[in-house]
Amino acid sequence: MATDNANAGGFGEVSRLRGVVFEYLSLGASVAGLVALGVLLVYVTIDAFDLANASPEWLLTYFLTLVVPFLAFCLYSANDPTVTRRALGALGGGLVAVAALFTAIEAFVAQIPRLSWQLAYLFVVATPVTAYLAYVGSRGRVGAVGFGLMGRLVGGAALGLAVGTLFLVFDPLVWFLAYTLGVVPAVALYAYGARRSAPRAVAAAIPVGLVGVVVAVVLRGVVTTYPSDLIIYAWTLAVPIAIAGWRVVADRGSRAAAVAAGGVPLAVAVAGGFLAGGFGVPGPTALIVLVTVGVPTAVYVHRAIDEGDGVVGLALPVLLVGGALVGALVVEAWGVPAPDPWLDAGYVTESPSSTAIEAGLYPAIVGSVIIIALVAVLSFVLGVGTSVFLEEYMPESGVLGSLTRLLQVNIANLAAIPSVVYGLLGLGLFANLLGFGLGTAVTASLTLSLLILPITIISAQEAIRSVPDDLRRGSDAMGATRWQTTKNVVLPEAFPGILTGTILALGRAIGETAPLLMIGAATTVFSAPDSLFSRFSAMPMQIYAWANFPQAEFRYGVVAAGVITLLIILIGMNGTAILLRNRAERGN
Amino acid sequence: MASSHDADTEGITRRKALSALGGAGALALAGCTQSSGDGGGDGLSGSINIAGSSTVFPLMSAIAEDFAADHDQVSIDISPTGSGGGFSNYFCVGDTDFNNASRPIQPAEEERCAENGVEYVELIAATDALTIVVNPEADWIDHLTVEELATIWEEDAVETWDEVRDEFPNEEINRFGAADTSGTYDYFIEAILEERGHTSDYQATEQDNSIAQGVSGSEYAIGYFGFAYYYQNPDQLKALGIDAGDGPVEPSLETASSGEYTPLSRPLFTYPSIESLGKEHVAEFARYFVEQTTNEDLVAGDVGYVPATEETQEEQMEILEDAIERAQE
Repeated sequence: MATDNANAGGFGEVSRLRGVVFEYLSLGASVAGLVALGVLLVYVTIDAFDLANASPEWLLTYFLTLVVPFLAFCLYSANDPTVTRRALGALGGGLVAVAALFTAIEAFVAQIPRLSWQLAYLFVVATPVTAYLAYVGSRGRVGAVGFGLMGRLVGGAALGLAVGTLFLVFDPLVWFLAYTLGVVPAVALYAYGARRSAPRAVAAAIPVGLVGVVVAVVLRGVVTTYPSDLIIYAWTLAVPIAIAGWRVVADRGSRAAAVAAGGVPLAVAVAGGFLAGGFGVPGPTALIVLVTVGVPTAVYVHRAIDEGDGVVGLALPVLLVGGALVGALVVEAWGVPAPDPWLDAGYVTESPSSTAIEAGLYPAIVGSVIIIALVAVLSFVLGVGTSVFLEEYMPESGVLGSLTRLLQVNIANLAAIPSVVYGLLGLGLFANLLGFGLGTAVTASLTLSLLILPITIISAQEAIRSVPDDLRRGSDAMGATRWQTTKNVVLPEAFPGILTGTILALGRAIGETAPLLMIGAATTVFSAPDSLFSRFSAMPMQIYAWANFPQAEFRYGVVAAGVITLLIILIGMNGTAILLRNRAERGN
Repeated sequence: MASSHDADTEGITRRKALSALGGAGALALAGCTQSSGDGGGDGLSGSINIAGSSTVFPLMSAIAEDFAADHDQVSIDISPTGSGGGFSNYFCVGDTDFNNASRPIQPAEEERCAENGVEYVELIAATDALTIVVNPEADWIDHLTVEELATIWEEDAVETWDEVRDEFPNEEINRFGAADTSGTYDYFIEAILEERGHTSDYQATEQDNSIAQGVSGSEYAIGYFGFAYYYQNPDQLKALGIDAGDGPVEPSLETASSGEYTPLSRPLFTYPSIESLGKEHVAEFARYFVEQTTNEDLVAGDVGYVPATEETQEEQMEILEDAIERAQE
């Protein structure tokens, strides 16, 4: 706001005009960008879900069976008459305003393509109000419990699918041997040592684990008979997750509940894994997803019931699923014309096709997920390593100090190099010189890791720098070595910041196309990559290829569905990062 | 899993847990087993890398899709890189198994392949009618002669439409065409321009969609690309008839296959490398490809090119079988 300048010269008048103009200019600047993005997303969503062909009755049905109960849930959780009044006012007033404004524009200005006033209401009023109410509702206890449960259901499913995807390229048989011979003995030794206070057993855990893993790799070439995949997954993933769930609940003091929290999901998952084949779903994937969904859900439900507050919130998933089912039933029973979304189950599980209806993104999704998983590991290790070294170990003065500054300047400059150049580097270094192959998943992930490395380094440095020096000095004063200080004080304190920076950088990596083009990644593949050295396609590559198909259905529907899929995965990644960060911050 | 969390009261449960773990593992081991390294399927497995012409891309990917559906152990990847880009960057250095081309391989590329010891065989995939398009609003034009087309696109091209033909409006010509890595560009020069060279005063792109967008944005625009795009979007653009001396002929599947649409109907090719044909799954795919080139529904219906005749197919199959035999010796 404008300042009122009352200095020694008396109460002279200062024009507020400049301040007001500035304020509105900055408002305009922020709104312009957001509105443009909003319009883009609205149209992409309409195309992806074929909402342009959604009849008003269809929209109304789902609004009544799905959205209204959800809003009521949020309002119940918020339990605030002001919010309720405001929400109802916005929904009702918005309905009138949007309908009137939309009709007026259509009548006097121009037709608005592919949009009806009902859709406009959905996007302009209903969506923001829902988001606002979800936010307000989540601050009430009931809402927090409900959203917590939804988060575990959705997050667990996403995690399970991601793990299942990784096993497409990583040999589950090696993992089985390494787990059995390395991980289990090491954990057992460690647990024994920790319980009996035998430091030697604890110290032996890591070497034993490493030896086990090496033996596993050697044995993989020798042993030819293995348990079936389903049993491998159950033994190496489901059992430990169930035990983890059991322990978490047992720590809260209830043994029977603990056994139930670990055992019931495990039993359901194993049964589900055996039965899934009958429904055309791969058993091992079903098993993992059921376990990653079931165990956290069971643990969370136990906690909510244990704390006894806001237990009603646990009904939220039932409410949503029930609403969707009732909506589907009504649509079916009364023959309401329903849209035919491009983004459906077939789209994410099928291979690309030359006919738009059958086209799917599955191989590209798998390619992207695998690459991003590798990039996450590589860039996290390299980025954190570099930043810790630069911040904690390199001296700030003297000859080495100027070297540090030189390095610093170069890292900042690297962040500004166009991605095509990194593509060239990847082509020359990884694909040709080191022989990782043209367009393979390894080449792509190494290239993309280099691309985002400067960003991860800089953000991790910022996070480490923001750890107060008092903490370091305090740790030093206790006689801690520099390694102990870094491990116990600096990294835990900086972890949330490091994580945020890394995930933002990963968001950039998953959408990159230019470096992938340079390293010769394929635009279209028909089966998911089955090893790190097989050629792959990534989501942006496939979307780009479709955008140039002659058929209009590809350029609108199929591409839009791809964009939405990419966005959902990106939002999922960012959401995970925010959750982890919040958790780490609370931990501190 | 067991963590550093330490509480002596939980000793028994932890021991129980470990024994349970062991028990479960033993049971698991005793249960159903698999043996590693079982292939499954019909025995064909491996990868097939394909690059090259973006004109052939829709055809190749439609055929590859069907093949991949029948052979799930074969993984096929396709990238539209342009005919020339595919030859020089991927095929002639031995990185791809097939290169699609919308014109025959050129001497420079032959040399490059020979330098790297890459041998290949030429297969005809289909026939395309290179289509000249203008804005649908442009009702003052419906055909061009070959000579008029050349004056628009030659190196020292005319600036305005009335220089092409007197009755055309005095408006600047807005050109959209194929990039110089594209086989369409090479073919256009060969068929229309010959020694007169290609103008550089145009928007060059590898993507038909960009050309279509450009041409539909201006009444005085002109562009050229493969027939498939026009075939799928006949209302978005207006195709010009071409007069090679016998009156204007409009591009269509019929005029292209009968040979009336000259000189712009052209064969499309794919070049498998002989070395790759030595692998059974590549050879099988190449056979399947040649078989499919006469498939009317797929080539004409789904993609928009002229299918090969039975005769051509037989010839191609013979050439292919010879090459496979040579490769697998």
